[in-house]
Amino acid sequence: MHAQTSALTGRGISLSFGGIKVLRGLDVEFRAGEITGLIGPNGAGKTSLFNCLTGAYNPQGGTITYAGHPLNGLPPAARAKLGILRSFQTVALCPDLTVLENVMVGVARNYHAGWLNAFLPLSRGNREYAEMQSAAERALAELGLRDTAHLLPGQLPPGMLRLVEIARAIVGRPSVLLLDEPAAGLNNAETRDLTRTLRAIASPDLVMVVVEHDMDLVMSICNRIYVLNFGELVACGTPDEIRQNPDVVRIYLGSDDD
Amino acid sequence: MSENAVSLTSPRALRTGLSRVAAGRAATYALVIGLLVLPFLLQGSWLYTLGICFANSIGVLAVSVLVRYGGEVSIGHGFFAAVGAYSVAILEHRLGISLLVSLPVALVLGVLLGICFAWPSRNLSGIYLAVSTMALALALPEVINNAGEWTGGFQGLYVSRPVIPGIDMSLQRYFVALVLLIVVAYGLDRLRHSRQGLTLLLARSHPAAADAFGTRRVWARVSVMGISCGIAALSGVALGFSSSTVSPSGFTLWSSIFLLVGSVVSFYGLSLPRALIGGAFLTLVPQFLSGSGAWIPVLYGLALLIVILAGHFAPKIAAMLRRHPEGL
Repeated sequence: MHAQTSALTGRGISLSFGGIKVLRGLDVEFRAGEITGLIGPNGAGKTSLFNCLTGAYNPQGGTITYAGHPLNGLPPAARAKLGILRSFQTVALCPDLTVLENVMVGVARNYHAGWLNAFLPLSRGNREYAEMQSAAERALAELGLRDTAHLLPGQLPPGMLRLVEIARAIVGRPSVLLLDEPAAGLNNAETRDLTRTLRAIASPDLVMVVVEHDMDLVMSICNRIYVLNFGELVACGTPDEIRQNPDVVRIYLGSDDD
Repeated sequence: MSENAVSLTSPRALRTGLSRVAAGRAATYALVIGLLVLPFLLQGSWLYTLGICFANSIGVLAVSVLVRYGGEVSIGHGFFAAVGAYSVAILEHRLGISLLVSLPVALVLGVLLGICFAWPSRNLSGIYLAVSTMALALALPEVINNAGEWTGGFQGLYVSRPVIPGIDMSLQRYFVALVLLIVVAYGLDRLRHSRQGLTLLLARSHPAAADAFGTRRVWARVSVMGISCGIAALSGVALGFSSSTVSPSGFTLWSSIFLLVGSVVSFYGLSLPRALIGGAFLTLVPQFLSGSGAWIPVLYGLALLIVILAGHFAPKIAAMLRRHPEGL
């Protein structure tokens, strides 16, 4: 019951850029306690759907709700305050901040010390900053990145930057976690570790959605999978159902005959 | 992820990095002590020049904050410096109020006017924002001249009331500017290691990511402008007090452009030494060149070029020397 009420739901989501229809009346439901996969060929509308869910895009049609509360019209920052957090397809870390500081930004929304604390050595600002540091260190340790804390993003390989982005997303204890191609750029060993980590992050209260091209990863961690093509929903089901769906096999996974 | 946990930082590299930070801090402390002792070793005219240098350094910091935290450039910060300077001068002239009271008033006015400017221009960036700040600098002298009853018009106003009665005014003019500079540099060092500083830096480099983590880009723009303009107002306070006069000729479009030049020369650094480099370039270099007659602009331009090239290539040459210690 709890999982049902905490769902992130989209009904009839439509998005166009000029005359190009990117999303065509999508109905989706991402449930708490599940890892949901979102797959489809390039240009299927996966990242556009993420952008609609996080408020970066305002869909022209449809409604988006989280735990029953309508999200339409709420800006991204307001959705972040509800715990709806994401990682990005293209790594979006600040090059001037260390890895630790980048991750600290992920939890900043939970603290409220005023501007005087930013310029003066006041106890509240110091305490909050220390708490942010501890939380970021724990998140980095969880992903095996403890030793990179004081490096700059420019000193890390691309695959590791994705892990830092995940650390930034999980450090704030999100209620909804949207991961956009988290395994892109990772080698096999790193992908295996990521699989374990995502399973460990999953919890009964967390809605987790993963956009990913790595089918082994998607099939191994997801409870349910949505398949998109040209902005339309092609299929939805468990990994086994998706594997056996002839439409999915034809448009995305490739058939044995090919 | 423990199996593939990475270790990219060797303990030695970490120690080297930390020792560099410690060395930088020690050098800054030594610089502060040196500047505190300097007035007891120098003559009056140098104290005056250094006071102006410190005031300009604060102005350089104001522009550098906008560049570092907002990713934007201003060629109109002279306007906000004038707000600070005239706040002090008018409050002293009209009400006999000391700098200790007029300084916070100037700071608040600078911040508020910065926010008032930032809000309507929040969607402008790059050259468009720079040109809109220029409009402020262009309009300023006329505004001051037309409000002559308050501002003293073309002749300006004198700032002569001491902060601490009984202490030599030349020392006060030096130390007020120095203390303000140290306080601003310290505040900016704190900002870099604060929640707000981290989120502002992310908003500058990836506004969409900052948005997605709860930092609205409009809030970021308005905040940075408020901070930057508040610091510019403080530079005006220091400039007015240290030079003892406040007049429109001190806040022309060129004054604003030179603040940007100082910021570029300091490579947008927000530390005390970097700010001093920018301030010294605005104040001391013209003084050294004062005997060169018509060649002053040429030599100043040459000095600007040398400093920029040296700043650009010095780290690369140093890195090359570290890789090939036996010689190139």
